[in-house]
Amino acid sequence: MLKKQHWAIPITLVFLLMGILFSLQFQAQNRISSELSMQKTENLIAMVRDLSEKRQKLASEIVDLNGNLRTQMKSVQDESELFISLNEELTKIQTVTGANTLEGPGLEILIDKQMPILYVDIIHIVNELWASGAEAIAINDYRITQDTSIFYAENEQNMSITVDNNNLTYPIIIKAIGDPNNLDKGLTMPGGIMDNLSLYRAYPIISKVDLLTIKGRNRSFMYYFLNEYKPAEKPADTASPALKT
Amino acid sequence: MSRKWLVPITIVCIISGFFLSFQLKVQANNNNTNPLSQKNTNLVMLINDLEEEIKNQENIIEQIRNDLSNLENRPLPGNLPELQGQLKDARIIAGLTSVIGKGIVITIDDNSDGLKNNPQDDPNKYIIHYAHILSIVSELKVGNAEAISVNGQRLITNSEIRCVGNVILINTTRIAPPFTISAIGSPKHLAEIVTNGELDIMKSTNYPVTLEEFDEVIIPAYKSDLQFRYAKPVKEEDE
Repeated sequence: MLKKQHWAIPITLVFLLMGILFSLQFQAQNRISSELSMQKTENLIAMVRDLSEKRQKLASEIVDLNGNLRTQMKSVQDESELFISLNEELTKIQTVTGANTLEGPGLEILIDKQMPILYVDIIHIVNELWASGAEAIAINDYRITQDTSIFYAENEQNMSITVDNNNLTYPIIIKAIGDPNNLDKGLTMPGGIMDNLSLYRAYPIISKVDLLTIKGRNRSFMYYFLNEYKPAEKPADTASPALKT
Repeated sequence: MSRKWLVPITIVCIISGFFLSFQLKVQANNNNTNPLSQKNTNLVMLINDLEEEIKNQENIIEQIRNDLSNLENRPLPGNLPELQGQLKDARIIAGLTSVIGKGIVITIDDNSDGLKNNPQDDPNKYIIHYAHILSIVSELKVGNAEAISVNGQRLITNSEIRCVGNVILINTTRIAPPFTISAIGSPKHLAEIVTNGELDIMKSTNYPVTLEEFDEVIIPAYKSDLQFRYAKPVKEEDE
């Protein structure tokens, strides 16, 4: 009988410990997982919404492109029709390359010299604006494109934020064309960029604008290393270890 | 008699152990992360379906864009060749073509060893956040990168880098660790900037990080839409 009691206590202890360890392990894995099934319901709903919107835009894109393709195929002789089609395509792409001046509703964000805002904050604001569906952005009339660098420069007196190596003068005004409400929501959502900045007592002034104009970029895209890549008949997997999709 | 003791006690202990831990878990987690909830299962299925459909759409778009650019390369009459040339350049600049060139490839990954050794620590200190990627990408732009992709997602002007919960998204597409950031540009220049910047910070906090220079880095085309509903081009006469 004494021997049996000897058994019982260690075993219960071991089981208890195992239970706790098990669950702790489970919990640790839970919290950092990027698996969809481990995400919060509200985040999943947000993803469904974004994906549905994207699907719709892709469908419109396919319609546009098919239209262009049809025109190109049938009207080899019709110069004016070809011109219209090519021009339409070009205009659309120029929204991305920043070649043309655009107008539309959107948001204006004003940053004063007194506000403790760093170049990193500007990067985050711009990124958040793209995430909220901005279609064009300019900072103090410097158009933002895929190769725009946002950085800083310092001399003896002070440090200034730069956009493509141009010093920004205050007040800094960021303009974004897009749905004003969505853009505003993106910046001001709880835990978002504005919340974050308020911790440093920086309160950029956001105003919704019915019509704002964003100028085309005034410099051309320079490239020295890049070449168009046309895959051979068979995808050249061996050409470079760089491409991982 | 002693056997009668043993069985109930072990059962009770197991159960109470589970209860205790369950309680802990509920308190630690936000209450609506329940992988088993029916609603979430449905949402995940919906997301998977949407992603599948989007992938097909993007393949179609890539195909049509290729056909279009091939077709538009043919000799055309009048003043159309000038427009053709502009369009060809614009496509490359916008990121609608695959490109190749000298450059660097960076990989970054979650610090899973660190987390394993410090299981009580905040896991957020060991995983890659969108901000890490955003910093590296911004530095590459300062280094005059001519094209950048992250896990095969080409970054164009309007590309966002963000997270929803623990999921990182670029071009509204989910990407997961390890992250491969490819950039075309001067390999020396690009490497110098990132190794003195974000990569150095990440290394010092023990994230697994690699950087390699290549003579040929291939960066895929942007396959998504260019649909703009708010921005309208201003006629040149009005400027």
